[in-house]
Amino acid sequence: MSSHIETFSYDDAIVRKFLWATVIWGLVGFTVGLIIALQLANPWFNFNLEWLSFGRLRPLHTNAVIFAFAGNAIFTGAYYSTQRLLKTRMFSDGLSSFHFWGWQAIIVAAAITLPLGFTQAKEYAELEWPIDIAIAVVWVAFAVNFFGTIAKRREKHIYVAIWFYIASIITVAVLHIFNNLSVPAGLFKSYSIYAGVQDAFMQWWYGHNAVAFFLTTPFLGLMYYFLPKAADRPVFSYKLSILHFWSLVFLYIWAGPHHLHYTALPDWASTLGMVFSVMLWMPSWGGMVNGLLTLRGAWHKVTEEPVLKFFVVAITAYGMSTFEGPMLSVKSVNALAHYTDWIIAHVHTGALGWNGFLTFGMVYWLAPRLFQAPLHSKKLAELHFWIASFGILLYVAAIYSAGITQGLMWRAFDETGRLAYPDFVETVMKLMPMYWVRVVGGSLYIVGTIIFIYNIFKTWQARPATYEVPMVSSAKLVKETHDAHPAPAGEGLLARFQSARWHRRWEGLPLTFTVLVVVAVVVASLAEIIPTFLIRSNVPTIASVKPYTPLELAGRDLYIREGCFNCHSQMVRPLRHETERWGEYSKPGEFVYDHPFLWGSRRIGPDLARIGGKYPDLWHVRHFAEPRSIVQNSIMPSYGHLGRKALDFDGIQARVDAMVMLGVPYGEAVTNAPAMARAQATEIGASIESSGGPAGMGDREVVALIAYLQRLGKDIKQVQQAPVATAGGVMP
Amino acid sequence: MKLVDVMSASGLSMYAIVALVLFVAAFCGVLFMILAPGAAARHAQASRLPLDDDAGSLPLRSNND
Repeated sequence: MSSHIETFSYDDAIVRKFLWATVIWGLVGFTVGLIIALQLANPWFNFNLEWLSFGRLRPLHTNAVIFAFAGNAIFTGAYYSTQRLLKTRMFSDGLSSFHFWGWQAIIVAAAITLPLGFTQAKEYAELEWPIDIAIAVVWVAFAVNFFGTIAKRREKHIYVAIWFYIASIITVAVLHIFNNLSVPAGLFKSYSIYAGVQDAFMQWWYGHNAVAFFLTTPFLGLMYYFLPKAADRPVFSYKLSILHFWSLVFLYIWAGPHHLHYTALPDWASTLGMVFSVMLWMPSWGGMVNGLLTLRGAWHKVTEEPVLKFFVVAITAYGMSTFEGPMLSVKSVNALAHYTDWIIAHVHTGALGWNGFLTFGMVYWLAPRLFQAPLHSKKLAELHFWIASFGILLYVAAIYSAGITQGLMWRAFDETGRLAYPDFVETVMKLMPMYWVRVVGGSLYIVGTIIFIYNIFKTWQARPATYEVPMVSSAKLVKETHDAHPAPAGEGLLARFQSARWHRRWEGLPLTFTVLVVVAVVVASLAEIIPTFLIRSNVPTIASVKPYTPLELAGRDLYIREGCFNCHSQMVRPLRHETERWGEYSKPGEFVYDHPFLWGSRRIGPDLARIGGKYPDLWHVRHFAEPRSIVQNSIMPSYGHLGRKALDFDGIQARVDAMVMLGVPYGEAVTNAPAMARAQATEIGASIESSGGPAGMGDREVVALIAYLQRLGKDIKQVQQAPVATAGGVMP
Repeated sequence: MKLVDVMSASGLSMYAIVALVLFVAAFCGVLFMILAPGAAARHAQASRLPLDDDAGSLPLRSNND
């Protein structure tokens, strides 16, 4: 046995940096959330500024909260706990610093590019390709630093929190790379390499697992470290934590398709996603119970310690969200909830309760230790807790009500068998009181956050002139490190197996462990993805579906730039109330040229899958200029700038070229896209003028967007003349 | 012949059964790992790791309350 003792110190400076980034970006993300909540309650709050409109700010809110607030919170807790659990300083201070500054630079880039309209139109993966590459580089630096730290550890056993961090690092890398594969069409414009159904499948494989491996597993790692620390007692059941971990890793990765129930996704994939989602309920609740029971015998501390109060509500919110998630994945429930605010309420129970409160509790626990000064005020922390809790309750109660109300109104029929609320805006107006309650609830949460930041700031102000750097001593890890709890020895294969020494070795081999995580994630992913991509019958083609014209493609890019997909779906589900309201249900073959897919996930405005030809061009011109001049109670922002800005005809060729690289058959447009676009735009401009509209619209952006909208759903209307080809023959 | 043709014609439905068997086997492996003889002592030791590390002493309580 070796007893070589080494003395070293932890790098807490990097933890302090990430802590400040967490609180600052948290306030930014929440404030943008409040602005978009106001925009939904009253469109005046769009301020008629294109870069402040809801469609551009909504992705900024989600990205800021997920990657800036929650991301920095993960790094704060992971850098603090990893060093202590492994009894070593981080592998490289330089890589830690690169990770910190690189991540903040990415957040700033997102904050600039998203309001400018640079987006890939994929939820939580909106950032364009140069930023995606930067994310990959910074993430790899983090991974090298993290695994390097594991390699030089002085503690043989790898605690379960580290397992959760490993799974998160590996899986996020895989998800990010594969969902963001795209062909650039300019510095800040690209097209997903996948189209339609396959793109939707890939996006929600990513989207769901971003929730799983960015907002769940790393936070569970934080819970398994900081909760025992704050309660001063070990986790209730370490066995349960292991079961929790492996069950999540095996099950989560399959669940993504539940975001696409009743869409053009193949039914088998949708059902698979539902079954695995329901199975997720048990391990998730196992984790919740494990967290709450860690406080057994310590509940009296909860009354005294705001840190534990935040943790208890966080874990309870985790339990509520992970009960509701599987329930929402059941198809019949999803048919009601999908596209409504119910999903927004579900997400915010998790984000405000689980991620937010776990972060607040962790920061309150860390601040006195990192700043080496007492917490400025426990009373203010208590006040923060109660204000924010009340804010969450107001928020989710209002938005659950809004979601269920709108879902029921959409599907209501009157006694004559007609839609009870055929006018979509009527179902939106019903939500307005609830939207104002959300504004109040969100404001309270922000007030709590301001109190939190003040408290942390005052604590920081009381710091010593120079931070003390405690030195830690620990024995160097060598192969023959003493095992305090040796397993009983035995002879023979069975005895050796039963001795569990194999597992002891296995737990201490991070490389083996990491490989097993990768295998679990990749096998599950490929089992779902390969059939969708490589079995023809999953996406039957439709002969009448043709690529967009160059002008329509440019219009589609404007639709993406303005973030229209944040409010409008393009997916009619095969449900009676949907086909009555919108028309023929959507088919997989309609989307084979859609790079990226634009099915949307929320209907704040009406579905647009069958909008083509429904209204004349002039209706669209006036509607974009001032929606309330056409639909009195519309909450859509005004898009007057589309009628003022000149369309970049010459830039269309690069976009067509990128589409050609993706295999879209563009024919003549390969060499002549700008001229073709000009010809179609002139025609539309003339049509607008001859209908009594303004002259000179033929070279404005608005004509491209109108061309695109007028095309939507048109191809499928020709299907009766053109038979549908499938793998099994011809469909009538 | 394209890959998509090969995959479409290869009758992959039986692989769902293979996947099910693999998953059940993996789950049994995890259960064994948790319940294996000698695991309890190891888990008790591991569960104390967060409490054994040096988190630094907590500064005195503030006078602001």
